[in-house]
Amino acid sequence: MSDEAPRVGIVLVSHSVRLAEGAADLAGQVSGGTVRVLAAGGTEDGELGTSAEKVARAVASAEAGAGVLVLPDLGSAVLTVRAMLEDMPGARVVLADAPFVEGAVAATVTAAAGADLKAVATAAEEAWHARKL
Amino acid sequence: MPASSESITLAGDLHARPAGALSVAAGRFAAAVSVTVDGKTVDAKSVLGVMGLGATSGQQVTVSADGPDAEEAVAALIAIIGEATRVGG
Repeated sequence: MSDEAPRVGIVLVSHSVRLAEGAADLAGQVSGGTVRVLAAGGTEDGELGTSAEKVARAVASAEAGAGVLVLPDLGSAVLTVRAMLEDMPGARVVLADAPFVEGAVAATVTAAAGADLKAVATAAEEAWHARKL
Repeated sequence: MPASSESITLAGDLHARPAGALSVAAGRFAAAVSVTVDGKTVDAKSVLGVMGLGATSGQQVTVSADGPDAEEAVAALIAIIGEATRVGG
């Protein structure tokens, strides 16, 4: 696993522009900045909501050759992501069922270590079991 | 399989960024790597686990590894803990 190998990309889909950007900033800094972490928050005009076009653009930018993990903040963002995935057949994209902040951090750190898409998705989903106290 | 273990006293709290650096490095080794603080052991490759240790300045951290590159893993992680907890984060 060389440092030049492409990393799995991460897309954070939130109803809020600032929540997506903040989570992307946090995950990027904790993981050392070697992974493409893209924020796809809010509607096209920046209101609360989600945008399939924003998600699609973020997925395209996050793809470095190793696939992309998409994390939605709330259940209703899943509809947007699923609709977007239907329009991108053949894309190596996995939708993760994970807590937003913890999943983003765990997935990005795992991607930074060079893990494959399946392992990155598993790291995000295992975040359900991580206790803070 | 070779096993290896080493301890270091934290020069600062094990905050998010040092925990991230530790887990990114651990994930690059084939060996299973664990971190133990105050009797609590977690997988070093799980950043949430490492953050959940709540390890603070002055506490002793033990890094243990088991696998083909165990010795290199322990040396690398001890160095990262020493470096990263000095700058905080």
